[in-house]
Amino acid sequence: MPPKVVVRNLKKSYGAVEAVRDVSFTIESGEIFGLLGPNGAGKTTSLECLIGLREADAGTLEVCGLDVRKSPREVKQKIGVALQSTALPDQVTPREALKLFGSFYREQADVSGLLERFALSDKADARFVTLSGGQRQRLALALAFVNRPELVLLDEPTTGLDPQSRRELHVEIARMKQEGHTVLLSTHYLEEAERLCDRIAIIVHGQIVATGSPRELIAQSTSRQLVTVVTTTPLGEAALARLPGIDELRIEGATARFRTTQATATLAALTALLEQQRAELIDLQVRKASLEDVFLQFTDANKTASDRGAS
Amino acid sequence: MKGLLHHLGSSLRLHFRNRMALLYGYLFPLIFLGAFWVLYRHDQYPLLRHMGELLTVSVLGGACFGLPTTLVNERERGVWRRYRLTPAPTWLLVASTVIARYFIVLTAGLLQLGVALAVGMPRPEHPIALAVAFTLVAFAFIGLGLVIAMLADNVPAVQALGQCIFLPMLIIGGVAVPLESLPAWAQHLSAFFPGRYAVEVLHQCVTGTGFSPLNFDLLALAVIGLTGFLVGAKLFRWDAQQHFSRQAGKAWLLPILAGWLAVGVAAEGRDRVIIPVASKPAVAAKPTAPPAPVVPPPPWANLTPKDADALDYDLPPDVGVVSPMAGSDQLPDEWVKPQLDNVRIMLPYWVPSKGPDALTRVRHALYVAAVPDAAQVPTEAFVPGVVLNYLELNYPKADLIKILTWIAQHPDEGNPIMTTSDLGLKAAVRDPMLVKERAHYYAIKFVAKLTNHSY
Repeated sequence: MPPKVVVRNLKKSYGAVEAVRDVSFTIESGEIFGLLGPNGAGKTTSLECLIGLREADAGTLEVCGLDVRKSPREVKQKIGVALQSTALPDQVTPREALKLFGSFYREQADVSGLLERFALSDKADARFVTLSGGQRQRLALALAFVNRPELVLLDEPTTGLDPQSRRELHVEIARMKQEGHTVLLSTHYLEEAERLCDRIAIIVHGQIVATGSPRELIAQSTSRQLVTVVTTTPLGEAALARLPGIDELRIEGATARFRTTQATATLAALTALLEQQRAELIDLQVRKASLEDVFLQFTDANKTASDRGAS
Repeated sequence: MKGLLHHLGSSLRLHFRNRMALLYGYLFPLIFLGAFWVLYRHDQYPLLRHMGELLTVSVLGGACFGLPTTLVNERERGVWRRYRLTPAPTWLLVASTVIARYFIVLTAGLLQLGVALAVGMPRPEHPIALAVAFTLVAFAFIGLGLVIAMLADNVPAVQALGQCIFLPMLIIGGVAVPLESLPAWAQHLSAFFPGRYAVEVLHQCVTGTGFSPLNFDLLALAVIGLTGFLVGAKLFRWDAQQHFSRQAGKAWLLPILAGWLAVGVAAEGRDRVIIPVASKPAVAAKPTAPPAPVVPPPPWANLTPKDADALDYDLPPDVGVVSPMAGSDQLPDEWVKPQLDNVRIMLPYWVPSKGPDALTRVRHALYVAAVPDAAQVPTEAFVPGVVLNYLELNYPKADLIKILTWIAQHPDEGNPIMTTSDLGLKAAVRDPMLVKERAHYYAIKFVAKLTNHSY
């Protein structure tokens, strides 16, 4: 099956500001693809170019085999979009909104089916103004499905939601995956991307710095494991600093934290140190590098690079 | 097409669910109607002369406030941004918004018309012409509303901009204040606003002649509407983040300015801006009718004092705005005396007060009292006394009472004279019905004074 989305060398500037410098990615059919980046990295701009809300300055944009810049209206027939915040008129009801938006498309999904699918049947005839934040967001998702889209784009769908609503939304997105939908999800929440996405592209300062599955990204990363050790009496900074392979040592009373590239050797030496100082061990944690570490590694590297460029 | 109908239905549904919109759309026009009804309660036919103004106010409110408020509010909330993610083209959504607004102002207009008919207004003379004219008025103002919606970045800005157009049009644009009571500069200025054309054409359809296909008012409204729609479409904004100040293509505002300017200049060129100038020649030719070869007995000859007693003496008071008459203890201000003297001196030599038919002569004299009253000039309370004196001096009392009684019994007859400028008194009106109505009141008041009847 051909890829659902092909973006090559996308560029977009607002005056002197280069919002998107060079973005390329491909999304395969049935995949949940995450566009992960800090605020202002160019996620929303990339997405807006892809759905025809903004005109790209340069690059190739293909959705469902169609050139976005040549036939934007055809592309819109095939995609469903949920924006960061979807506001509807206060007095409209979910049922009316779904009917209205459905009428704009050739393909139309069954309205009561959608209401049921997104747990809105109880609220089908309630005014928009009376809906909770989570219900509004579910309605926004339902609106993205009124045309039985081939591709669903979700722009930071969980931003500003309470934890409960966010969890509900995660369940919905996971369900889209099970149903075989292709989804492009932009987010700045790492755990969201890690949990939901098959593949992730990390975007920083308008450029894609890494692409791959969360596991691949972590495996490729140069990050090291994080060790936290709590003892009855402090072990002493000088002694800890001599442990093999450690870095970024921080001590707060009897708690020490550090990173290591050779966990086994470090822990063996640590055990020896404990015995030597007759300190009792209260807690010991070794945590693998997370997507957060990968993310920070890229964003920090980029920051350092740009700092260097500036000076 | 399916999308258009759905969006149209949705727009109308939402309008009728919005309490504020209903308040502005329907209650305010009715309040205006009530106010005009009370203000002009002595009119012979309730509200008939003011339907043009009332309908214009309704359309103006719905199109220049209602439409942009809804549009800008939806844009601010991101509703239009959401629409833009769908394949629905811009024209479809704008078209359904405009059609919905037309329905809304139409229902408001029909409501006003219904209430006016219920309180006794006669049926409009030209209902079909009225419907066409109303549609064109709505077209012009909805175009204007679209431009306001594109200029305003938020709802408060709509209110401010709307007021900038609404209030001048109401006060010096000929919508709420009669043009003839405004100074010449304001009448010139009003030629550049669509309000006056709307009032004129609607008024004609309700009371008078209807309109010919090449009516200037209709043309003016069409030009203003077309430029409004063109500019509204060119400056259309989907997103609240696109501020007008940063928007490209501001030059598209020029067509609308050019449109308004063209209408104003064309109106000036047609010499139809100052009201008395336009209406005077048409009437001045009238009074010298050829004398009839055989003189039948005058129709009033058989009237009796009983007929005079039977008149309706429920009249506006002498101290009010309508048909005032100064008492003998009141003296005119020094600066108006020369004008009263002019009338006193020139009335016997005035062409319309001569002629073969006493009935016509007395009628014309009554118009001399009626015009200053209708135009609300400072001499209005004093001219009727001058006229009554003149009549008493020139007609036998018994005949005068009969003639005045006849005139009072036949308020619709006669061809009103619309200005007293020939008599050295500056006053003019454009509405013949108004002059007839005031002449009617003075006829009865004169009968009352001559027969010592109270009122």
